[in-house]
Amino acid sequence: MMFDETTIIYILEIIVGGLLVGVGVHFVPVGGAPAAMAQATGIGTGTVQLAAGSGLTGLLAAGLMMSVTDNIWLVLASGAVGAGIMVGSTMLTGSWIYAYAVGVPFASAKVTYDPITGFSQPPYIAPGTVGHGIPTVCYVSGLIGGMMGGLGGAMIYYALYLINGNAALSAMFAIGIFLVNAVIASWNIQGTIEGFHDPKFKKWPFAFRACLIASALLALASVFITGGA
Amino acid sequence: MDAFSMGLIAAMGALATVAGASEDIESDVGSQSNPNSQVQLAAQVGNPHRIYNKAISGEPPANALWCATAAIVAYTLITAFQMPALMALVAGASVAALFNGVFSMSAYFGRNSSQARFNQWVYLDIVRYTTPSIMAHAWITSFCIATISYIMVYMLPTPHPFPMPIIALIWGLAVGAIGSSVGDIHYGGEREFQNRQFGCGLNTMLSGQIVRKAEAGLRNSIDNAWFCTKFGGPATGMGFGLTVFLDNWRTTVFDPVTQATYAILMGVFFILVEVAYNHYIERSVRRKYGPYPEYKGDVAA
Repeated sequence: MMFDETTIIYILEIIVGGLLVGVGVHFVPVGGAPAAMAQATGIGTGTVQLAAGSGLTGLLAAGLMMSVTDNIWLVLASGAVGAGIMVGSTMLTGSWIYAYAVGVPFASAKVTYDPITGFSQPPYIAPGTVGHGIPTVCYVSGLIGGMMGGLGGAMIYYALYLINGNAALSAMFAIGIFLVNAVIASWNIQGTIEGFHDPKFKKWPFAFRACLIASALLALASVFITGGA
Repeated sequence: MDAFSMGLIAAMGALATVAGASEDIESDVGSQSNPNSQVQLAAQVGNPHRIYNKAISGEPPANALWCATAAIVAYTLITAFQMPALMALVAGASVAALFNGVFSMSAYFGRNSSQARFNQWVYLDIVRYTTPSIMAHAWITSFCIATISYIMVYMLPTPHPFPMPIIALIWGLAVGAIGSSVGDIHYGGEREFQNRQFGCGLNTMLSGQIVRKAEAGLRNSIDNAWFCTKFGGPATGMGFGLTVFLDNWRTTVFDPVTQATYAILMGVFFILVEVAYNHYIERSVRRKYGPYPEYKGDVAA
């Protein structure tokens, strides 16, 4: 295989996929350890953990679609929807626990009114906490983030599979590129974020630049190693 | 779609529900997750305790390791030694449980002995009777997930192109992520802090003040598992079961070769229903619980 324009397009697709993952992680409302004690708004886990769980579930859906068609739009949409189902189910069942086991109303400490529903937030924040639960704005933001992750993972997988035709190899490299970009983004987030309405979200260009460099290097490496060029 | 593949999808959903529940209880009885930050903190603020402590890794990578181990062993036994699938899956899950036992015990000894200066003891009786319970739950999780991977690769009408271990790795990551996001809130938000008023998040001032006394005697991790089995575990199971079932249902009912668009639109429909359901929960809890009485701000409730 020559290092021709097709290969360059595949490399660009891997880079775009990595960037989608890196930016998508900023949308996922993760509260880390404080959220697990209903002490902060969002999902009670780490950024990388949830992004990887959802994005890679999307990768499974995309891989299945890729085995029967090479239509890029179907593969990408399948990846995004698979990831959306996972992150949606997770946040929904998490909401059950917040609502019915811990017994807290959902509230965000970063905004006075929910930008989507217009609900007031400060009266519903328990004293000594910075919000709890998953309000609608966080839910929608999480879905956007999860679906961007699934889209990115599917795009990386699509390009790699067309280069080497080996599903297992492509999947392992897609998981690796996915995790690198998710970890870079979570350094930028520094632990917790509530979604696109959080002031921290404005820092995404830093992660974008770092992910661009990392994805470019990883794209070159993965294309050479897995049999391209 | 035929009745057989629909039955397989139902079996996968059921296995995933069991896997999710056992994963969450495994992390509660071993205290491996975000709520463990409070267990770790407790000794440091003067509350030595008898809770197991094995949080040396996040749940998703740990479960990915156990599930992938089970799938690799099963895959090897099936392909190289022509062992019957069920026996191979049982053998794989047993190896994964042994890995889990080594992980748990070394983590418990390491974490607790490092807190000797805070008067935290290493309790050998806790190690003796809690570790087998942790291993048993890890066995169930890895067996269920390796079986789901086996069904996806060898039995569904559209076989998945990834090999069994990679599918198990991905589902292991997903079940860990769900267990860490869903069930652990029940453990961290409720069980660890039953000594405060119900219906509020943990006040920062109470950090590290975990409940150390049980209904009889001192509380240990088995007591925590008993409590979390009532809601946190099943809710985690529902979360993972929904993920596996809905994701595979849409690509089985709608043939991915000819009806791929319908399969994707069905997924979008599921997501919209979930958004509406979450919004319903948000509205109903706001209405039922109302604003906190301590609030004295100027924003209308």
